[in-house]
Amino acid sequence: MKRIWKIYRLLAAQNLKRIMEYRADFLTGAVSFLIDQAVGIAFIFIIFTQIPQLAGFTFEQILFIYGFSQIPKGLDHLLADNLWCVGYFIVRKGDFDKYLIRPVNPLFHVIAETFQVDAIGELVVGIALLIYASPGAGLHITIWTILLSIIAVPFAALIYTSLKIITASLAFWLKSSGFIIQMVYGMNEFSKYPTTIYSLPVRIFVTYIIPFAFTGYYPSLFILTGNNALFNIGGVIAISSVLFVISVFIWNKGISAYESAGA
Amino acid sequence: MIYAEHLRKEFKKIVKEPGLKGSFKALFKPLKETVVAAEDISFHVPKGEILGFIGPNGAGKSTVIKMLTGILTPTSGECRINGKVPQNDRKNYVREIGAVFGQRTQLWWDLPLQETYLVLKEIYEVDDAKFKKRMDFLNEILELEKFIKSPVRTLSLGQRMRADIAASMLHSPKVLFLDEPTIGLDVVVKDNIRQAIMKINKEEQTTVILTTHDISDIELLCDRIVMIDKGKNVYDGSLHELRENYGQTRELVFETDNNSKLTEEEFRKGLKLNENDLVIESDKNNFKVRFNSRKLPVGEMLGYTLSLTKVKDISVKDADIEEIIRNLYRQGEKSDE
Repeated sequence: MKRIWKIYRLLAAQNLKRIMEYRADFLTGAVSFLIDQAVGIAFIFIIFTQIPQLAGFTFEQILFIYGFSQIPKGLDHLLADNLWCVGYFIVRKGDFDKYLIRPVNPLFHVIAETFQVDAIGELVVGIALLIYASPGAGLHITIWTILLSIIAVPFAALIYTSLKIITASLAFWLKSSGFIIQMVYGMNEFSKYPTTIYSLPVRIFVTYIIPFAFTGYYPSLFILTGNNALFNIGGVIAISSVLFVISVFIWNKGISAYESAGA
Repeated sequence: MIYAEHLRKEFKKIVKEPGLKGSFKALFKPLKETVVAAEDISFHVPKGEILGFIGPNGAGKSTVIKMLTGILTPTSGECRINGKVPQNDRKNYVREIGAVFGQRTQLWWDLPLQETYLVLKEIYEVDDAKFKKRMDFLNEILELEKFIKSPVRTLSLGQRMRADIAASMLHSPKVLFLDEPTIGLDVVVKDNIRQAIMKINKEEQTTVILTTHDISDIELLCDRIVMIDKGKNVYDGSLHELRENYGQTRELVFETDNNSKLTEEEFRKGLKLNENDLVIESDKNNFKVRFNSRKLPVGEMLGYTLSLTKVKDISVKDADIEEIIRNLYRQGEKSDE
């Protein structure tokens, strides 16, 4: 464990040093993520100039859900961004070779190699929205709700990471799966709003198939109401754990199917 | 040390017709074709040997190396190195090996070279004292000092290759896989790299498998060669044996005043040799005869030539390994037709 942490720190540090070498690139990335966030929030403002409530939630409550959903998203983005590269080009170009000839778990190695500072944008926006929306959102604050929802955050992030591992693994068979990652990842939009605004099939889809609802809406609902911890928080933990086990299985299968690239 | 038994690797390829239309067709109705990159490859390498693993482009060399290093999983067959099957026990297995793929780099592209070594030190758990000793050793044989502080992307090909080889040797591996380590390098760097390989082989009994197209690499480094072509073993033995068995060709070069009378036709008629066994090249003063020494002893060839013309100087050239390999490759092509 100590060794794993040491290697993680080292690899991540290499990545930070690299970022320092390309400052302009880093700044552009950070700014573009902030703009992305601003658009999302502006959208909620506009909706609420027209209606007082959305599916029974007030403006502050919706902002709270939105803010909460950004934190697991940012966490995954910060720590596991390199999986995109696996899907887009690492496998296709045969650069995956190097992970297979080092005495480190390849999945860990891939993930440890990037520390994506752009993600700070999501984390800052998420936390700022929580602080801004909390007083007016009518939260059900007890030690119990706070503790459980904090525990839910890393598991919610694991849902993102597992979905990325599964879709990135497809590159081992298809050579390139970047667009598939993009498609699945894009569905995280659903996590920002109450699932009750969607039709039943969509609700089932984002709860049980591509379970992004567990990364935002359900855990937020628990802090808002204090109800149903088993489903709202237990669901996050159970679904993310199952998804992670499946993703590692597919990843390992993928490694046996890896074909490298010429010469 | 290294056992490869009937290794076979197939790739599935989707055949596309040319053009955008073809791409669409392949998307909806993929026509799959199996490509056999390695059909049946077997060989053993004892500890401490430097094996030259050679063959023409596309013979399947890299595929075999990638199976041995655990990057690819064989379709069938098995390899065992140090008693370990690479694919089954990857983490422990790769600690004992080092690999360089000449066309790729495992260095951190954007960072000073020494950072790579510091990370590899942790990954392979090399302790501080050993690391320092090792770096001194590698510095000495590969002359890394001059560029160890430069970002990897600014290194020349020769520097990068030396750096990559040092990276593969850092953790004192028992087996070293070098896939074209001298590709595209100048003579000085090649020599430097060869020295390093020889030294590490001698001092640490490192087993080395080396693929190359450079004949001098083989002549200088390899105890034994395994030659493959089209995914199959073609030759396995020492360089000496290869010369004995296939290298019957000798070359005599005569320096004469006037060689206008010496034509290939006349030689063939006079010595009863056909065009496979005798080739003559001549320019103003030099006159070169390449012939099969099994069909005609060198002495007889000498006597015959001397009886025809006045000779100022003679030199005899041994069978050129490059020539032998060219012949072997050509035989492979012929047997296909």
